[in-house]
Amino acid sequence: MAPPAIHTRDLVKEYADVTALRGLSLTVEQGEFFGLLGPNGAGKTTFINVLVGLVRKTAGEATVFGHDVERDYREARDAIGLAPQEFNVDRFFPIREVLEHKAGYHGIPAAEARRRADEALKTVGIYDKRDTRFDWLSGGMKRRFMLARALVSDPDLLILDEPTAGVDVQLRHDLWEIINRMNDAGTTILLTTHYIEEAERLCDRVAIVDEGRKVEVASPGDLMDRGTDTITLGLRNPPATPPEVNLGGVTDVSLTDGRLLVTAARGSALVPDLIRELDERGFEVTDVDIERASLEEVFVDMTRSERAGGRRDESEDGEVGRAAAGTGGDAGTDVEVSR
Amino acid sequence: MSTSGSVLGVGFRTLLRREILRYVRRPRNTFLPPMITNVLYFAVFGIVLGGRIDRIAGFRYIVFILPGLVVLGAISNAFENASFSIFHGRWNEYIHEALTSPLSYTSMVLAYIAASALRGILVGIIIAGVGFVFLTATVAPIGVARPGYLVAFGLVITVLFASFGVVGGLWARDFDYLTVMNQFIIRPLVFFGGVFYSLDVLPEPYRTLSLLNPMVYMVDGVRYGFLGYADIDPNLSLAVLSGLAAAVVALDVALFRRGYGLVD
Ligand SMILES: Nc1ncnc2c1ncn2[C@@H]1O[C@H](COP(=O)(O)OP(=O)(O)OP(=O)(O)O)[C@@H](O)[C@H]1O
Ligand SMILES: [Mg+2]
Repeated sequence: MAPPAIHTRDLVKEYADVTALRGLSLTVEQGEFFGLLGPNGAGKTTFINVLVGLVRKTAGEATVFGHDVERDYREARDAIGLAPQEFNVDRFFPIREVLEHKAGYHGIPAAEARRRADEALKTVGIYDKRDTRFDWLSGGMKRRFMLARALVSDPDLLILDEPTAGVDVQLRHDLWEIINRMNDAGTTILLTTHYIEEAERLCDRVAIVDEGRKVEVASPGDLMDRGTDTITLGLRNPPATPPEVNLGGVTDVSLTDGRLLVTAARGSALVPDLIRELDERGFEVTDVDIERASLEEVFVDMTRSERAGGRRDESEDGEVGRAAAGTGGDAGTDVEVSR
Repeated sequence: MSTSGSVLGVGFRTLLRREILRYVRRPRNTFLPPMITNVLYFAVFGIVLGGRIDRIAGFRYIVFILPGLVVLGAISNAFENASFSIFHGRWNEYIHEALTSPLSYTSMVLAYIAASALRGILVGIIIAGVGFVFLTATVAPIGVARPGYLVAFGLVITVLFASFGVVGGLWARDFDYLTVMNQFIIRPLVFFGGVFYSLDVLPEPYRTLSLLNPMVYMVDGVRYGFLGYADIDPNLSLAVLSGLAAAVVALDVALFRRGYGLVD
């Protein structure tokens, strides 16, 4: 059986005065598109840095395609293409040469390295900037370049640490498309992001981590099933008080502006029964609108219960709010965006 | 897995090339300053003062100090290149480009050392060139008495100081450390290392004390290469310096493997 792309067991990292990872065990299978979600300081970047050798683990095991990240560090690193959260690009050379160097470090001979460098620049759409130094790229181009550098060694595992932080909507969609193509072609992807919508759209599975521990691993769909959906029904003759609804899973019924709001787990499966029941009580349903629970809502619940009223600073300006607007959920009102 | 090859494979050659291009493309920052400094040294010590200073061991003063100035330029540039390149890469974190690649720690260290030693050698050649121009213009051209020794000493001393530079680049916490190392460690060693005088002029115990300074063997050996004159047996100097260089290179590799200054 093929070894998993990433496998860690009881991974611990203690910095001088903080414990960033407290026994994190995680397995990412080959070919997966895997999301790592967690508030600021949860330990996501630390986890990634253990894999690529920028952080020395305190305890536990970590392998990449079966290669121990310390004992077989060369094999492990050769398999990984990393787009880190912080820019760390060679400022002495134009970006095309930076890519040639990175390819060369991976053992790719000069002519082939040049070809791959150009190809990577074209893939992310900044080929015409090839003779420019990194410092002179715009913020969005810098993000594109980080992806190009991760791709240039043609990695089997692509690790993207907040690849779309601070980029505009168009670029975000461009980057998603590139990443998705890579995944379709068989590349395993580990993505961290604070845009929950991003994880919802892209990932096969997500792990939610908080304070260096794993809170949950599941598919975005499974996680969303744990939240509550909202069903909004238009009634031809709305009553003055909300009618009673005797169906399993319904958590709340209310009337707003003559429309009936029903919150329930797995709401979509409930809709036919709901309409029938209302019909029997003499209410004619004119239209139905279902809002799925958002992953974001579930995420916030999970990480909130973890720290039980502690500090909550996971929302960098507008990120959570913007994602909420994107999913169109009432998450925007339900989820308190702190700060 | 792609073939990143042996210790001296494609990966090593790429990093070596990157390191060399970094300074070759900026000659005004890397080669011009030592050239100007040494024009000044030769003008002042050789021409202005030189006429008033007695011959040393039968050599005119300007001839006597030439090997020392070559050593001074070669080792300080080898040291500075390695320490700066590694520290700058750590400071801006782009050293991660190499660290997260499948390069072996030995390959990385050897690439930094080889590129830095080469810069030291090139600066040494430039200084020797400046010296020869001055000599030809003022006294008489001189040749190289022992080319084999000159090459051997040139290699071993630049490798030694490049590998010290690697330690310095890993140890430094900010840019001031680099200046401090140069001002308080290298300069004193060089100035008391027999660049500007022969050991024979020193009274005891200073002569014996000087023999503890590795610079003395380096200057003496390079002087032997140029002039065929040495205070100390050149083969002994070469053996001691080679042993020391090998030890510091091994230390560098161990530090990289431990991630000292590189890994959190
Ligand atoms: N080099 C370091 N030295 C000391 N502590 C560190 C270091 N790097 C990270 N930490 C601490 O470890 C914890 C985890 O940090 P990490 O960067 O892994 O979080 P993260 O999940 O990536 O957060 P973010 O979403 O903000 O990027 C934090 O408390 C952080 O302050
Ligand atoms: Mg992070």
